[in-house]
This record gives sequence, structure tokens and C-alpha cells, in this order.
Amino acid sequence: METAQQISSYKPASGTINYKRRSMMFRWIQRGVILLGSLAVLLVVLMPVAWLVSSSLQTEAEIVSVPPHWIPEEPTLRNFKAIFSAGSEEPITYETRSTQDTSSGNYIPSTARNLLPAMWNSFVVAVLVVILNLIVGIPAAYAMAKIRFRGRNGSVYFILTTRVIPDIALVVPFFLVIKNLGLLDNIASLVITYLAITVPFTVFILIQYFEGLPDELDKAARVDGCSRFQTLTKVFVPLSLPSLVAVILFAFLTSWNEFLLALMFTQTAQSQTLPIVLASFTSDFTISFSFINAAGLLAIVPPVIVAIIFERYIVSGLTAGAVKG
Amino acid sequence: MTTNSADTIAMGLRRHFNYEERVALLFIAPVMAVLGLVAVFPIVNSFYLSFFRIKLTRPNRTPFVWFDNYIELFSDQLFWTAVLRTVSFTLMSVTAITVVALLVALLLNQDFRGRRIVSTVLLIPWAIPYVADALMWKWIYDSGYGALNGLLYQLDFIDKYMIWLGDQDKTLPLIANAFVWKEIPLATILLLVSLKSIPQDLYQAARVDGAPLMQRFFHVTLPSMRGGFMLVIIYETMIAIRHFDLFFILTEGGPGTASHVLSWEIYVETFRNLSFGSGAAMSYLLALVTFALAFFIIRTLGRRL
Repeated sequence: METAQQISSYKPASGTINYKRRSMMFRWIQRGVILLGSLAVLLVVLMPVAWLVSSSLQTEAEIVSVPPHWIPEEPTLRNFKAIFSAGSEEPITYETRSTQDTSSGNYIPSTARNLLPAMWNSFVVAVLVVILNLIVGIPAAYAMAKIRFRGRNGSVYFILTTRVIPDIALVVPFFLVIKNLGLLDNIASLVITYLAITVPFTVFILIQYFEGLPDELDKAARVDGCSRFQTLTKVFVPLSLPSLVAVILFAFLTSWNEFLLALMFTQTAQSQTLPIVLASFTSDFTISFSFINAAGLLAIVPPVIVAIIFERYIVSGLTAGAVKG
Repeated sequence: MTTNSADTIAMGLRRHFNYEERVALLFIAPVMAVLGLVAVFPIVNSFYLSFFRIKLTRPNRTPFVWFDNYIELFSDQLFWTAVLRTVSFTLMSVTAITVVALLVALLLNQDFRGRRIVSTVLLIPWAIPYVADALMWKWIYDSGYGALNGLLYQLDFIDKYMIWLGDQDKTLPLIANAFVWKEIPLATILLLVSLKSIPQDLYQAARVDGAPLMQRFFHVTLPSMRGGFMLVIIYETMIAIRHFDLFFILTEGGPGTASHVLSWEIYVETFRNLSFGSGAAMSYLLALVTFALAFFIIRTLGRRL
């Protein structure tokens, strides 16, 4: 869309329309549309999250009130307290449970104690996947972008093709492989499979970025006596920081969020990740929704903070990967 | 023995590839190894498995049954229901995602005060794990105390509380809504990128020709965004077809078969009925269809991936 100046500088042969007035009107309409659009986006995005936050701060008695209390009348942190103290408390039994919350008699689910360990598992898996992605992905992307070798196109297509196959279709054979390797209920199974899921995207983004960097850089470094490896680490890696940030974020968020494979491969608190423990709450019919919401909020906080901090890098990193797509 | 064979391989490599090529092979070897082990092997293996009748309930009897698993699928009513549900869920979601993301991208392409705030807030759903997204919407849709009922009732749109996820006709759109909400940010970013890369002189030329706003939009903006649309449609279609998490938490395939999609059916067949053979057959069909679809979309929108 155009600005007012552009319109007024444009004068057609016939002067029957008052262009100045028209452009004023156009500007007001444009402003109105932008304002309404922005409000709609903010409302639609924030309302569900706000409701999640609000209900995580309500007591069991308040959360089941009809009509719902949009703003908690007596905000309380006891849902969060319950999560953070779940590991140290006595196991919640039918008898002790009813003393926890007088309104409904159900408060902490038996799996609550697994929540913090699961969060730690998720974090460890995500960090390992990010590191492995960089180690494996950067050299491969560099070779595909800057070195001429037989089978180069073939390998690019091969990598992209592996992402076309749905994870659910891979679950059965994955499961058998992991079982045969003896890695069931071990976070290593998640690290390996998440690596395979994320690395094609990593390579794809980095290829596009490396291709955009001039070949002269490559040549100059080589003339100065750098090996291929040194050229990569000393010239290309520092220059591609924005796209590396996008890659890191993507690998981290994907690993933090993954559910299906974790559901298959993990069985106990030793290896369960955050999404699995969260999901286990919903199958427990005695559990309170205010508690689930508090746990859900905890799961959201780290990735949202990360995403907001790196907002500008996400956009520029994806730009590098997507423009040529 | 091993050193000998390693030497032989090294010599062979040296004979067939020059130095540059050997470096390149070394650089891509780890990726190929990982993807070979965790992507190619499983898909070949799944094809192989699909010819056996493997039931974990009878671990010692795994007869080779040729195409029986596939034939049984095609005559299975539940399988076709699942196919139908998957198709309608995907169509619904991808259409909604593309249209909404286009509108939001057009908005964010404007220069206005507060744009940074809008674009930052927009990222929030993207960062939320699907399981958390599912829990949030499950609570919103809750028939007794959920926000949707509360809000609609207070606004007088409904006169009694509804059992939203218990209604056969509403289940799929409601799940799609939770899906779309989460997928909008990424689709918007992809479309915004392609919107920003349209050369400005195209607009200038159109303006000199006297093309009004709507015509410029349909004749310049939309055609130039072809690549972006392709990316969004392919990506979101792939994600929607294979989606599992929301179905698992929101409805478990119910009520009845209302949210019985293929991914759910594969999960039930494999891990609840413990019938690995027919689960593999279904997985393999799904992989083939997804692959064909990606190919078709790329060809139709006419760009190289």
C-alpha cells in the first residue's frame, strides 16, 4: 500500500477527482483498518493465554464457579507451591488428599512429583539436540553450499525428502530400533530421534544462508592458507550468527515440545519429558484444572521468554532460509 | 583385518574422488549417517514390516502375509473414516491458516506505531508446546467451567452450557481451531518474508498504469507471493496430516469416530491393539500419500523446493 505523498505526487491527465481529499480519506481508513487489525490480533492471541494465567492463580473452589471469574478474586500461588514442593512431600493418598483442599478434596496428582525432573529432562534433551545439530549441520550445509562435488544435488534432495515422511509413520520402526538398541526409557533415544527430525531444517536454513555469502570470502580465506575446516570456523560461522540463532531456537523449541516419540520411548520419571507428564495429568480424572493450568503455564514460560528475546533473529534467520524457497 | 579393510576403503576413496570431494564427503557423512539410521532405515523397515502379521500379543507367530494387511485396510470401514477425517481436518486447518496468516502478514507489512508489540505478541503461540496448547483449549472448551461456555453465556449467545467436544459436528472444527491458533505465527512470518521481497518497482509500474488498490493486490501482490504460499501450504499440510498431540489430549479420537484421524488410528492399531504389521501398513500408506501430496503441491505451484 502507498503513502499519502506517493498518491499526491501522482497526477493523472484528467483532473475531475479531488485527489487531496481522497488521499486524506484513504489515510484515515488505512489507520482504522490497522488499528482494528492490531487489536484483533492481540485479542485473539492473548485471550486464551490470559485465561490460562488467570485460572492458574485461582483456588479449586474459585475455578469451578459459574459464571467463571475472569479475574481471580483471591489470587493464590498454591498451585505453583504444590508443584515445587511435590517432590519433598509425602505421597498423596486418598486419605491425605482430602485434607489438602476442602472444596473438592482433590489437589495434587500422584505424578506431580515428576514435573520438575521432567522439565530438567526436557532441558537436557533440548540442549544436547541443539549442540549436535550445530556439530553435524554446519559442516554439511557448508559443503553443500560451497564445495562442488558429485552427488551434491542428490544429497540436498535426500535431506529434504526425509522431512516429508510423517513422524507417526516412523514410530513403529523407530520403536523397534530403539528397543533393539536397548535405549527404551533412556533420554538418548529422544536425543537421537529429535536430531534426525531437526537436522534437515538446520541444513536447509544454513545452505540458503551460506549460498548468500559471496564466494570471494571463501577463496580469499583459502589463498591465505586456511584449510576448508578453518575457512568454515573462522569465516563462515561468525558471519552466519543470525541464522545460527534461528537454528538453535528451532531445534530447542522442537525438542522442548515433542510429544509423540517421547510418549512411545519413555516409561518412567527417569526419562519422561515435560509434555508427557503434562499429558498424564489429563487422564487423571480426580485432578484439578487450576493445577493443570499452573503446570501448563510453567511449560510455556521458558520457550516464550526465549522466543521474545530472540524475536528479531527469528525473523531475519527465517528470511535467510525462506526467500529463495 | 579391520585396519586392512579400512585402508582399502581409504584407497578406493582416494582413487575415485579428488581432495575437495573427499572433504565434502567427510563434512556430510555425519548427517547422512544420522538420517540413514533414523529416517531411511525406519521407512524401509516399515515397508518390510507391513508384509507380516505381527501382534505383540503373540510374539512367536509372525507369518509373512504378503499384501493382506493392505487388503484388510481397504475393506476396513474405520480406516476410510480416518482418511476422511484427516482430509477434512487438513483442508479446514490449512485454508484457515493461509487466509488468516495472509491478513496478519499484510497488517505487519504496514509501517505503524506499535507494530513491534503486535509482532512480538504474535510469536507467543509458536513457542507454546502442543501439549500445553491442547491443555489450554481443553480447559477453555470444558463443558462445566470452561471459558467458551462462560463467555458465550454471559454475552447471551447461548442459553445453556454446551458440551463442546462431545458434539460430533463441532469436534473437528474445535480441534482445528486450537491447531490454527498455534500455527498462525510461523505461517505469518513465512508470508511476511515473501511479501517483503516483492520488488517495489512492480507496484510503481502498476500505479503508473492506473491500477486501483484491489487490482494491484490481485495482479501484483498475490502472484508474487507464490513461493511463500507454496512454502506455507506444503509445510502446514504436512504438519496437519501427521498431527497427533491435540487429538490425543482433547478427544482421544472421539466422540464416536468424530475425531478419528489417521495418526490416531495408527497409534491405536500399533500401541493399543499391539498389531505392528497393520500399523506399519497404515504408516507406509500415510508416508506415500504425504510424499505424493508434497510433490503435487510443488508441481502445481510451479517452483523448485
